[in-house]
Amino acid sequence: MVIARRLVSRLTLPVLLLLPALVIIAGLVGYPLVRTVYLSFTDTGLGELIYGGSTWVGLENFKEVFADEHLRTSLINTVVFGTACVVGTMVLGFCVALLLNQRLRGNLFFGIAVLLPWAVPALAASAIWKWLFDARYGFVNWALVNVGFDGFQDYAWFADRESAYVAIFVTVVWQSFPFVALSLLAGLQTIPKETLQAAAVDGANAFQRFRLVTLPLLRPIVAVLVIFSTIWDFKIFDQVYVMAAGVPDRSADTAAVAAYREGFALSHYGLGSAVAVVLFLILLAFALIYVRLVGREGEFS
Amino acid sequence: MRWLLKRGWMYAAMVAVSAFALFPVYWVVITSLKPRSEIYTRTPDLWPSDPQWDQYPRVLGEGHVGRALLNSLIVASGTMVICLLVSAGAAYVLARYRVRITRILLILVLMTQMFPLVVLVIPLFVTMRKAGLLGTYWSLIITYLAFSVPLAIWVMRGFVLSIPEELEHAARIDGATRIGAMWRVVLPLAAPGLAVTAVLSFLEGWKEFLLALTFINDEDRKTVPLVLQSFVGRGDTDWGAVMATSVLYTLPVAIVFVLARKHLMTARTAGAVKG
Repeated sequence: MVIARRLVSRLTLPVLLLLPALVIIAGLVGYPLVRTVYLSFTDTGLGELIYGGSTWVGLENFKEVFADEHLRTSLINTVVFGTACVVGTMVLGFCVALLLNQRLRGNLFFGIAVLLPWAVPALAASAIWKWLFDARYGFVNWALVNVGFDGFQDYAWFADRESAYVAIFVTVVWQSFPFVALSLLAGLQTIPKETLQAAAVDGANAFQRFRLVTLPLLRPIVAVLVIFSTIWDFKIFDQVYVMAAGVPDRSADTAAVAAYREGFALSHYGLGSAVAVVLFLILLAFALIYVRLVGREGEFS
Repeated sequence: MRWLLKRGWMYAAMVAVSAFALFPVYWVVITSLKPRSEIYTRTPDLWPSDPQWDQYPRVLGEGHVGRALLNSLIVASGTMVICLLVSAGAAYVLARYRVRITRILLILVLMTQMFPLVVLVIPLFVTMRKAGLLGTYWSLIITYLAFSVPLAIWVMRGFVLSIPEELEHAARIDGATRIGAMWRVVLPLAAPGLAVTAVLSFLEGWKEFLLALTFINDEDRKTVPLVLQSFVGRGDTDWGAVMATSVLYTLPVAIVFVLARKHLMTARTAGAVKG
């Protein structure tokens, strides 16, 4: 009895402190998630969404996701374009981190310059790059024509999928390489100088030192950054919604944009939910890998 | 000569990357200072011949930009305050109490950060509609907590872990209650962590676009991302106004980032990289 009461009083404070956060996560993440999964098995339109009464259609919506050309394309777009963004971000981020680690003169300025794009909100970045890639008055076309690529006179970047993706790719990499670079820099600075010096004494050249010492030591951070970038770039919405809006047939939509439009523009809430669920399952796989990686390094224990 | 060969290309690369990072920002600022005739030209100048500031009072006055900045400020501040109140205690518990459920909760918190918002938006829309909150600040503040609270818990937990538990034990031995020790010992030491978390949760609200797009129709309630989107979406985009708006929208964030870059990095690495 006494033990029970002491246990209760010991548990009161943590439970009270945790409760509001748990209610928010359960109510604003858990419940909507379950609800979307349910909707993805129904034929919910606008009327059913608001007044209820939708019918269960089993896996019909999921069949439709892979049968419908626009939706299937949006999933392929997500994987191909997302992977390109991850690779671009990681490569540029790695190069910048190695440069920053050289501690050249002007490093402080360089560090701040590199930080700045990270501070620009997605919507502002989309507007900025849409202006830079403007067909008639944009800086990019002007510069390309000036260095001799006359074909770029009035080149309409947002008139087809591939060139629109080039513009959006530049925007996404511009915004996300700073985080990768600064995280990798933090990792590089934890590598003891002695280790690298020892390798140099043993006769390893700069490239060998990088490949055999630096890279293996950075592997955990690189793995985590790749997973994070994949999750961010696969669920990309803002930049694509704004910049790819004018692409004919909406052929440049990614899964997140297609799911949103299927629901809110076309009132196919059931089908839109199914697209969202497919995207969610892809991301969940990456999230689980991440949790395993972090768990193994003992952060939780 | 050898030095030049060895170091020269590094400086060249550094200049190229800086140009890539900075030039768009520079171009936005000078576009916002150019008169119309210099914006809509095939041979843009790299420097405005006669910088003019009248774009700024114009967008703040005529357009909905002034109003939108105020809306964004209200929504982001509301999110920040509620988010801090809710997550500080939870972060403390998850840092100090090590039972099996802590691990499960941590994984839960971590996973919620990775959800694509588009998975949640349809049910959230229905809930907000039923609650009669569509189109209000509250619809945004409440739903923004869905992703700002998990992030805040994660970052703050990192800061609490860095405060030695012995300090609390010492306070307890001196007669403080657990809450007293939290209030007098942990809270002051966690102040930098609180500040960083405040900034991060404010930014979540300041930058969010998808939910605002879904919940807000009324011009008077639109946040800055919505106004920018409606500017850019039109055929005859007024680029001078868009650029001035982008500058006003980004400036506060950029200042915070440059001033607090060390702390933000620590927080982000605590939250993202180390786990």
